[in-house]
Amino acid sequence: MENFLLKNIDNPNSADIAEYEQAGGYKNLSKALGIKPKDVLDEVKASGLRGRGGAGFPTGMKWTFATADPKFPKYLMCNADEGEPGTFKDRPILEKNPHLLIEGMAISGYALGAEYGHIYLRGEYPEAGDILNSAINQANEKNYLGENILGKGIKFKLSVHMGAGAYICGEETALIESIEGKKGQPRNKPPFPVNVGAWGMPTIVNNVETLSNVPYIIEIGGENYAKIGSSECPGPKLFSVSGCVNKPGVYELPMGTTLQDIIYNHAGGMRNGKKLKAVIPGGISTPVLPADAIDCAMDFVAMPKAGSMLGSGAVIVMDEDVCMVKVTYRALKFFEHESCGKCVPCREGTDWLRKILERIENGKGTQGDIELLSDVAGIMSGKTFCPLGDGAAGVVMGMIKHFRSEFEEHIKEGKCTF
Amino acid sequence: MITLTINNKEISLEQPMTVLEASRQAGIKIPTLCYFEALKPYGGCRLCVVEVERMPRLQTACTLMVADGMVIQTESDTISEVRRGILEFLLINHPLDCPYCDKAGECELQDLVNKYGPAVGRHKEEKRKVPESHKDQILARNMERCVACTRCVRMCSDVQGASAISMMGRGNDTRMEPFSADSFNCEYCGNCLTVCPVGAILSRLYLHSFRPWQVDREVDTVCSYCGVGCSLTVQVRDDSIKRVIPKEGKGLNKGLLCSRGRFGYEYIGSDDRLTTPLVRKNGKLEPATWTEALEIVADKLQGIRKESGGVSIAGIASPRCSNEDNYLFQKFMRMTCGTNNIDSISRTGYGAAQKYFEDLLGQGITSNLIDGLKNSEAIVVLGGDPTSINPILGLSIREAARRGAQIAVIGNAKGLERFKTLQITAPVFEEAAVLESLLAQVFASKGERGEHAFLDRGIADMAAGTSTVSDVKGLDDLKKILLESPSTSIVFGTDLVQRSDGHRSLFAVSGLTYLLEARLYLLSEKANEQGVIDAGCVPDMLPGGRPLHIEDFKKKFEMLWKDSLPDFKGKTLMEIIEGARTGDIKALYIMGENPVFNLPDAKYVKEALDSLDFLVVQDIFLSETAELADVVLPALGWAERTGTVTNLERRIQVQKKAVETSAGMEDWRIISEISGKMGYKMEYKDSEDIMDELAQVSPLYRDLTYKEIDRGKSIWPYHGEPLRGAEISEIPAGEEVQSGNGADYYLAVDRPLFHSGTLSRRSPALTKIMPEPVLRISAASAEKLGLTDGDRVNVTTSAGSSETVVVVDDSITDNRVYMGNNFKDRGACRLLNFRLDSVTKAPGIEGCGVTIEKR
Repeated sequence: MENFLLKNIDNPNSADIAEYEQAGGYKNLSKALGIKPKDVLDEVKASGLRGRGGAGFPTGMKWTFATADPKFPKYLMCNADEGEPGTFKDRPILEKNPHLLIEGMAISGYALGAEYGHIYLRGEYPEAGDILNSAINQANEKNYLGENILGKGIKFKLSVHMGAGAYICGEETALIESIEGKKGQPRNKPPFPVNVGAWGMPTIVNNVETLSNVPYIIEIGGENYAKIGSSECPGPKLFSVSGCVNKPGVYELPMGTTLQDIIYNHAGGMRNGKKLKAVIPGGISTPVLPADAIDCAMDFVAMPKAGSMLGSGAVIVMDEDVCMVKVTYRALKFFEHESCGKCVPCREGTDWLRKILERIENGKGTQGDIELLSDVAGIMSGKTFCPLGDGAAGVVMGMIKHFRSEFEEHIKEGKCTF
Repeated sequence: MITLTINNKEISLEQPMTVLEASRQAGIKIPTLCYFEALKPYGGCRLCVVEVERMPRLQTACTLMVADGMVIQTESDTISEVRRGILEFLLINHPLDCPYCDKAGECELQDLVNKYGPAVGRHKEEKRKVPESHKDQILARNMERCVACTRCVRMCSDVQGASAISMMGRGNDTRMEPFSADSFNCEYCGNCLTVCPVGAILSRLYLHSFRPWQVDREVDTVCSYCGVGCSLTVQVRDDSIKRVIPKEGKGLNKGLLCSRGRFGYEYIGSDDRLTTPLVRKNGKLEPATWTEALEIVADKLQGIRKESGGVSIAGIASPRCSNEDNYLFQKFMRMTCGTNNIDSISRTGYGAAQKYFEDLLGQGITSNLIDGLKNSEAIVVLGGDPTSINPILGLSIREAARRGAQIAVIGNAKGLERFKTLQITAPVFEEAAVLESLLAQVFASKGERGEHAFLDRGIADMAAGTSTVSDVKGLDDLKKILLESPSTSIVFGTDLVQRSDGHRSLFAVSGLTYLLEARLYLLSEKANEQGVIDAGCVPDMLPGGRPLHIEDFKKKFEMLWKDSLPDFKGKTLMEIIEGARTGDIKALYIMGENPVFNLPDAKYVKEALDSLDFLVVQDIFLSETAELADVVLPALGWAERTGTVTNLERRIQVQKKAVETSAGMEDWRIISEISGKMGYKMEYKDSEDIMDELAQVSPLYRDLTYKEIDRGKSIWPYHGEPLRGAEISEIPAGEEVQSGNGADYYLAVDRPLFHSGTLSRRSPALTKIMPEPVLRISAASAEKLGLTDGDRVNVTTSAGSSETVVVVDDSITDNRVYMGNNFKDRGACRLLNFRLDSVTKAPGIEGCGVTIEKR
């Protein structure tokens, strides 16, 4: 399959508007503005595009909810707060192909009747911020953005909002709070952002990759798009592969490519000929899979059946030398650090889990600690305000399920066995 | 109609609400921690989880809206396990220092753990350690105990509107902190204290001084400070007030309090209280027995009456005293002393405005419920900052702003800085012209209303004679707002009454109220400003607002009071002072008032009082005025006696006795003792007895009883219609006055949030918050004068000079500088001169041009 999202990626000047136009860029915007907003929306619906941020919500449906709300103005937010450990798939778009995102947002804004768009950019991506800002300036100059896009009287203004480093701001309602200038913490749902979002107005929050798929849908049509990859969640998908493989990196592959294929074919197999032990398939919040469970299709439908989730498509590969207790401990250190503090189970639970894992990893674990871990994770699971705490509990439960013996050994030996 | 099932019980609801609200309504208790009724649902503690059929996960009852056909279980093994788990979580970092924590015994976490929590915890690691912060003088913060429910922060931003605190940090490091870091820089309402479920925010006024279960007595009463009349509860131990708390949802304040109400109670237990009568002997005030003191007063007054007639005796009543005290005081003045020379400090503002408005627009025109303010679509605020004069009323304006109302401030109102949508600067001495111009413009668009011909005519005449003030920014916008708003409220502070042409502003506001059919609110600094008038402490009105010159009323009262009433025209407050100066008034009886300090031109007032033959002052402290008296009689204060007060809505409420003290006597009892000695018998068992008489003699109070008042239902017009419509048929004409313009800066009397009159001087907590007088000054003025925050300056007027500290205040937009009248020897009033408004007889502030010099 030819790359679309990563098209032109090897061109050192790919972020420049001239290069982008040269490669056919902004033609899809022009094409979209030639049809009615409703028709653009219908194409997206027909494409079967599902959100690439991790939850896989059907984009067309989200858009329909937002357009059905009579309130105006509406806001289009691009979630570029790529903070999930193991995930770096949006970065090449943001840094190398910013005009693809801008074009996608301009088309989406048109379809949604939104005149303002904001890119909520991860604070740790300052270069991407500079690149995006100059790309937006270029697009403004060329009337791909602004008050009167391509002379058609369509308005769409775009700006970049730098985050300040909180993982939780990747959660759409926390993102909205943060954009409003408040502390990034998730809001109650319902009402959903599509009805009551930023400044109380209908707000559509889509991931970078999701919005970058929109020009492609316009280019080849929703129906053709729907034929790519898995039938229930079609399209190209970016996978960020990291860990003990020979060729870590971002890969654009059809949705539904198997984990096996990704690791052994595309990412060049295991580094130093080591044995594969485990894979976290969709970023740190998704449950771990043992080596024998990787013959599964990477999409939103098949992965839950395999015992995990597609998440953001961040494949973290671990070989036989990796201590799973340490991985769990490190993951919980992350979640404890990033828990926003709003709800009790996440705030206190992540703290407690980290403490227990720390003592097991440091050889101070005691009998009953594994049960205690399971208990604490069990209380958290399904009771936290947002998925952050669920994710943290899921990591612990998944690790204990598949690698309980490693935990037991740590406790028995009174030290890390790796 | 929504029908749902909770715990197998079918429930029908008219209104959509949350599952938690529906359950509570049905008497089903669901445990909560972050939920608080006055605040929006938060969903943070997760204790209120319930099972809902066809929903995969447990749901939080506080955030889930009911839906038709919902089937809910609020208790099950799974739910209990989750609640137990969450409480165990909450305790992993909680210090469990209950034996030492002030909150123990009324701690929500303690109660919840007791009921739902695990018997033992499994957490072995070290707990989070955060030292208790005592950097603030009023509030202690213990962030080890904090459960991050954010009730304090939500209260502060969403209800109080102060936005002074926030949850800082993230995850387990989350803690409440003031934006001002260590100590609070806030309105000190203490409403964060009310909502804190644990011992994370504590009052230093009673830290470690008692346990909640050691309270001897709890008395539900009404605040002593301003004219709002908030309900509060006094907790007493060993006959001293341990603390003052509001009750959730109770009273017109709905469980909220301000700094004065919550922290200002300490004055009552002050060591400075008068404990014994004092009699001047050889030029010095010496302790005396009650018998001695009362006899001197009776003899002296009797003698002066005999010699010079009642016309040479005068009385000043008090808006700090109860209706019963004031009723008896004026009865004593009229019947025992034979004089109509009776008035109160209310004349300088509230009373003057109230009378003017009622004369033009009918009795009860200002008697509007505070709660209604929040539903207004436009609110005009003028003549003072409601958020500092009547803080709880101010909250309703903030609430209206949150609901999208237009808030127009004419003048300066710091507390509405973040809520106003329009501000209009009216130059000093030209306020009336600006208001007249506004009225003329509204009249030009709306025309006559046709209800009162004389008013329509008056407005038309005024409009014809008014040249439009064109250089005042925002006036057109205000006109537009007013014409478009379907429901307008006018909140009138009394600063504008204190002008020698104050009647012009009053007329303009009356006209606007009339044409716009607006609700009119009159700000009231003291607890019983309305009551002192209604009780009859004005020269020309008998109790219930019955005009004395109407023969029928006079006769009726003479019959009830069993003697004849004096029939000369009594003097108003400033006329009494002038009378004292000229010798027309020989004896003055002052109950609970401090004219030397509270009236403009202290030198003049002092001279006048010095010329009296006989001065009696009845007070709880040896005030500046009491120091001049021949006899000083110690009275009982708030919380020491029972009596009713009438708030600015004209709601009557009971201030109840909570502590026993031997320091003094009730004001009414002192008066009746003296009256008896002078030959006019006053025999009452208690204040309730007096209310019974008041209810008999005045149709205004008809059939009112303590029992009924206590139920909280005595709202205007009580048991009937207003007694009077618009009384006059002509607009009272005032004299033309020209006041001196041209000063660079003008001194205005500030009404600070943290002080009220001179009572708050003796409340250590309030003096800690605001230890000395400040001069609030605009940023532009400060720059021109080269001043910054904290600079010590001399403020000088033609009347005198005072030292104060500069506070640069961005909310001030003109050349006014504000200084309060609260601190001994450093009040603003003594720096001012006055000239009487010829219509209202209120003293118009003059001589307020000031120079400000850095020390």
